[in-house]
Amino acid sequence: MSFQAANHTKILDNYVPFYTICEVQFLRRFMTETVQLFITCLIDSFFPHIGEAMVNVLNRAGVKVDFPSAQTCCGQPAFNAGFRSTAVPMARHTIRVFEKTTGAIIIPSGSCAAMVRHGYLELFKDDPAWLERARALSIRVFEFTEYLVDVCGVTGLSARWPGKLTYHPSCHLLRSLGVDRQPRALLAAIKDAEIIELPEREDCCGFGGVFSVEHPELSAEFLKRKIANLDKTGSPTLVVADTGCLMHIQGGLARQGKNQRVLHIAEVLDNQ
Amino acid sequence: MTLKTFRARIRQSIADDNLQIALDNNAARRRDGRQAAFASLPDHEQRRLRAHIIKADVVANLDQYLNQFIDRVKANGILVHRAADADEAIRIFMEIALASGAKQARSDAELKPLLVAKSKSMLSEEIDFNHALETAGMRAVETDLGEYIVQLRGERPSHIITPAVHLRRGDVGKLFAEKLGIPYTEDIPVLTNTARKVLREIFLTADIGISGVNFGVVESGTLALVTNEGNGRMCTTIPPVHVALMGIERLVPSLGDLALFLSLLARSATGQKLSVYTSLINSPLPGQTRHLILLDNGRFALQASPLAESLFCIRCGACLNACPVFRETGGHAYGSIYPGPIGSVISCALVDPQLAYLAQASSLCGACKEACPVDIDLPGMLLRMRSGHSPQKPQTKIKEGVGIPPAVKIGLTGYRLAAASSGLFAFFQGLGGLLCRVYSPRRSYMHLPAWTGWGYSKDFPRLDVHPFRSHWGKIVQHVENKPIRLQESPKPLDPESRPPGKSLPDRFAEELSALGGHAYIVSGKELPARLAEFMESKRIDRVLVDDDGATFVTGIPTLRQTDPSVRAGVTGALAGIAETGSLLLTSGAGETLKASLLPEIHVVVLKASRILPTLTDALAMPEVGAVAAGVVITGPSRTADIEMTLTIGVHGPGELHVFLIDDSMPV
Repeated sequence: MSFQAANHTKILDNYVPFYTICEVQFLRRFMTETVQLFITCLIDSFFPHIGEAMVNVLNRAGVKVDFPSAQTCCGQPAFNAGFRSTAVPMARHTIRVFEKTTGAIIIPSGSCAAMVRHGYLELFKDDPAWLERARALSIRVFEFTEYLVDVCGVTGLSARWPGKLTYHPSCHLLRSLGVDRQPRALLAAIKDAEIIELPEREDCCGFGGVFSVEHPELSAEFLKRKIANLDKTGSPTLVVADTGCLMHIQGGLARQGKNQRVLHIAEVLDNQ
Repeated sequence: MTLKTFRARIRQSIADDNLQIALDNNAARRRDGRQAAFASLPDHEQRRLRAHIIKADVVANLDQYLNQFIDRVKANGILVHRAADADEAIRIFMEIALASGAKQARSDAELKPLLVAKSKSMLSEEIDFNHALETAGMRAVETDLGEYIVQLRGERPSHIITPAVHLRRGDVGKLFAEKLGIPYTEDIPVLTNTARKVLREIFLTADIGISGVNFGVVESGTLALVTNEGNGRMCTTIPPVHVALMGIERLVPSLGDLALFLSLLARSATGQKLSVYTSLINSPLPGQTRHLILLDNGRFALQASPLAESLFCIRCGACLNACPVFRETGGHAYGSIYPGPIGSVISCALVDPQLAYLAQASSLCGACKEACPVDIDLPGMLLRMRSGHSPQKPQTKIKEGVGIPPAVKIGLTGYRLAAASSGLFAFFQGLGGLLCRVYSPRRSYMHLPAWTGWGYSKDFPRLDVHPFRSHWGKIVQHVENKPIRLQESPKPLDPESRPPGKSLPDRFAEELSALGGHAYIVSGKELPARLAEFMESKRIDRVLVDDDGATFVTGIPTLRQTDPSVRAGVTGALAGIAETGSLLLTSGAGETLKASLLPEIHVVVLKASRILPTLTDALAMPEVGAVAAGVVITGPSRTADIEMTLTIGVHGPGELHVFLIDDSMPV
């Protein structure tokens, strides 16, 4: 803990432009030795290697990771589709699992982090008992890059990536959590990487959970434009910090027979 | 319209190349315009939040504010009517029309139908007003260029600000050739000028003018109405009867708040600092009757529902322009007169309960909330609608997941059961992983058929046979225990660079010329000569004037009565506004408003010391609440209704010249 305390003044200096002193003090409470990993159902089931990369990166930032194995899904798919009665038991399960732990909860996906931080408060707005528990949980939740930069105060993780990289800011990460400068700072610190700006970068890729299935034609048009913009960058690698966008854009590239790869930011930061 | 036809219309829109080009241009132009306009407002984030808080207060205490407002408006001499729904609003209007028709006692009243000149009003679209007027045997003519175009085409608007955004110049050329008998042209100024000529006749002969209301100011009872072309001013100034239609939620408490909302509205809607004309109407002009119809039509129900925040909307259209769904479908596909994200929320309450499925027409990307000048949580509202929250009548049973196919519902329920315990979850993960291997042994992204929805345009990743939870025990952690070095420190935000301190007249002149107007700084002594020289250079032999104008103009005849053949008008002004290059004019006996509106050239004479820094300062002047009507003029009349191409000089003057009398030196 001592090194983190020593780092504290530096963090203060660095974040005063973005946060008030109170907020920095609040963030500092989450500089715990051990953090809880909420892996999210998509990484757990489809992309376990992203989870491993994330653990490595957090270790390099001086943080030990715990994995409460009873966790399943936060309930976002049902919540976003409008089935709140389906989402409630999943949210309760998640709250019960993480209530038993302490310290920060790290989620490697903007939309899932937004679900636990904001969505649960909406979901339980008419249920005071659960609302209290949801609130207690919501303040412990951090998105992966947000935690690294804002809480740990690190950007340089001695990562190396020879070649071009371009970044797609996922909608919930960008707009619900307001996390944008953090992944950019992390990418900017990668050695040998050439960061190229993605045209129309803030446009939705068309995933949107059930939207991608419910309105396939609209989703297809969004995706087509996203891939066309990716082509314009000439970058073989697109970095995202949300697995929904990752599987959607990679799925589109696979269908179109294109070679670009979509990587989670943890995979890129893990590369040395 | 049903969900099925909605899907069909989406496909139709995507296949329409012409429409796609028009919509892509709209999205890019409006986004850039909005960003540039907000760059000139360093405290725009604070303004957004203030606007949100003000609206929250108004909507929470709507009844109280509304009663105060009505009392003020009545005291100002405007006749106020309240309508619970569309039918009542139309009935009230018919009564007004009949009474006014009788009063005018026109000899040909029975032969010629009543002519109604309409300024753009979304509220009138909401209640399908034009249709009702035609049924009653009246002739209603839309006078906003975009609205006029869609009316000629027999369509409804496809956007709340730019009704003809779905059309390109060729479409308008063809339409005008066919309906107005001019030779086919794609020249936008020619098309605009044709509409000007046709509509000028309408303004001068209309029996009744109809307008919407952008904001009602509670403290003063002022009706504020913004237009760029000048048609709003025409409809509220020229015809003997003016009927304003207003939704009950469109209130702001004070004139100071009005200044705040105006600064946000034009920037969000069209990327202007201020719309060209902001009419401030307090009472009828001499010889005129004014009515205000206040319409509920589902708004109180909305206020009492969890969707109340949607009543904060100021109808700027920024969420439409930011929305990726609107960019693909355009407005007509929505099947509601209110399209886009805000339309998806309010349509089911204000237009048709059947439209609840529009809640699914969003990827929840949040671009709408980000663009909203009042910071309405539109994705949050859509989520509430999806979960069955809605201002419906109690007898309609609302289901969760409106518009979601049953298969998806079954899938989500199954998923919930699997996710109830981690053991079950792990079992299904493993099973799914194996099934994926069987379905697609080689490719890690599986080719699904199109009917699955996902398979329509992309492949789906295989579930991993070894999910993360099964690895967890094997992961060895090496936590580094050395101080972390901050390598790349985030740069502090630049302090807002404020423009160097210019004098107010200079700043005013600069802003005005950026809008296409002209400012001349002259001494009091040389003014008469400079004015005479100006009139000669423009070959003007007589001018329309107000009281102020009459004192400045020498050498040529001046007129007080409206005469369509006079080419120039000379007026004074109450104040100038440096931040936007605007002029605040008040009505006198209505002469100022007419002399500054009807001629093609408008000349203003103003003391330089009367230039104030901001719109807020100007609206704080006591005259604003006291006069019958006023107008804030920001540049020459303009439109961008055809392909968003800026065209100067529509219904109002195409030229604006301001003579600033330098009175900084003591005489």
